[in-house]
Amino acid sequence: MIEFAKVSKQYSRDVFALRDISLSVRKGEFLFLAGPSGAGKSTVLKMIAAIERPSSGTLTVSGQNINTIRSSGMPYLRRNLGLIFQQQRLLHDRSILANVMLPLVVTGAARSDAEKRARAALDKVDLLDKANAEPQELSGGEQQRVAIARAIVNRPQIILADEPTANLDRDNANKVLAALKSFHGVGVTCLISTHDDQYLTGAERIIYLDHGRIVDGWRDSANNPLRAAR
Amino acid sequence: MNWLRQHFFALGDAFTHLLRSPGNFILNVLVVSIALALPFAGLTVLQNVRPVSEQLAVEPEISIFLKMDVSRDKAIALEGIIRTILKDYSSNARIEFIPREKAFDSLKTKTGLNDVLATLGENPLPDSYVLKMSGFENAMDAGRIDDIAQKLQAMPGIDTVQIDSAWVKRLAALLRILRLVLLFLGVTLGAVVVAVVFNTIRLQVMTQYEEIEVSRLLGATNAFIHRPFYYTGALLGLCAGGLALGLVVLAMQPLNLAIAEFARLYASEFRLAPPTLLATAAQLGLSALLGLIGAMLSVKRHLSRLA
Repeated sequence: MIEFAKVSKQYSRDVFALRDISLSVRKGEFLFLAGPSGAGKSTVLKMIAAIERPSSGTLTVSGQNINTIRSSGMPYLRRNLGLIFQQQRLLHDRSILANVMLPLVVTGAARSDAEKRARAALDKVDLLDKANAEPQELSGGEQQRVAIARAIVNRPQIILADEPTANLDRDNANKVLAALKSFHGVGVTCLISTHDDQYLTGAERIIYLDHGRIVDGWRDSANNPLRAAR
Repeated sequence: MNWLRQHFFALGDAFTHLLRSPGNFILNVLVVSIALALPFAGLTVLQNVRPVSEQLAVEPEISIFLKMDVSRDKAIALEGIIRTILKDYSSNARIEFIPREKAFDSLKTKTGLNDVLATLGENPLPDSYVLKMSGFENAMDAGRIDDIAQKLQAMPGIDTVQIDSAWVKRLAALLRILRLVLLFLGVTLGAVVVAVVFNTIRLQVMTQYEEIEVSRLLGATNAFIHRPFYYTGALLGLCAGGLALGLVVLAMQPLNLAIAEFARLYASEFRLAPPTLLATAAQLGLSALLGLIGAMLSVKRHLSRLA
């Protein structure tokens, strides 16, 4: 479903965000991108969403080559993705319901249909009762769950979550991860970046990045955060 | 259906953003309407004056006064020569022979100077011809009349040939200048309107930066993002155009009082009429178009940078 083939991202002569990344993500996988800050986790997610393009190598998402995708084709690629950002990026001039409806509205969905689906999405993250509230009235954890509802409202094939548990307490972070796992349960491919090792325990698949490279055999290394945690 | 829904959404979105800061919108409408009011006023004056000038230009008159010693038979015979001259210049005219008696009676009737004229003893007026020219499409053609007049003057028995086209030419020249001034004014102030809308949209793009970014990431197309700004520009232009027309119509009330007083001196009923429905629609359409152009330029410049 997602295929990185020797992908590099270079911002200037000496600044590399990614170096020769080769990675395959199958449909329905639940994958963590782990590693310290600045390892390149966010760049991987941005490339999948065509926010950034590879400097070299080839990246294919759902059969579309991100290297060559035209700007007119990007919206249609993104409609199959559910994006969750570290800073939720909710629009503060409108209600929670209107925020969740936005991915449907941009596709031209009928208002009544969009509202129905947005309410269903909010119900899935236990925030239906906050539908008419404004984002600033919600806690950080609740806002992150709204961002999840917004990401899944258009029934995407892939969810990309960039540090969704950052700035959340353990309880709220677990709720967010539980919500993501429930969507994975119905076949949605999930890629979650985190620098917080405590959420990696029991993960189905972990890709560990450091200085823009995938670290092979990291589970056996002394740097394995899971080993350290044990 | 989806396409129509997207346009309704964009229009609604434009209204929502305008209503969020109505003060800014009203101020912008005021600025744009002042810029539009001047060319609209000029256009209205031109529209009012044009029919008058065209009417004058289309049917200029040539008066031919014969010498007093030309006999009636010879005077009537001149009509054939006049027709030949007109034919040479491919001009048509309604030729009216006015016998001196008829002219004298007319003078007495129209001026009410019966007593004064009676003291003259005899009729001092000559026989004359009045040629009402036709086939002149505009006042520019009036120059052709000069050549015809020269030929007529050369006929035997002619005392004076009087053309009324000279002042028509002057009026035509004046109207040409007025049109050019109006065109210059229209283009200049049209550019001002585009610039004001351009800046308004620029500020709106900056204000809505986050919303635009998020919408893009959620799969919004460029058309979806641009459309509300286009509607905002067109709405701004339309509202300003409406206000400008309202100002012009309002200003016409006191102006018409002054014009009526002036026209009365020339026994005329001339008044400035408000723009016709078609002219109103055209001016509103033009205002909306200018707003749309300003918005399109601004969106092209500022949103492409964001993209």
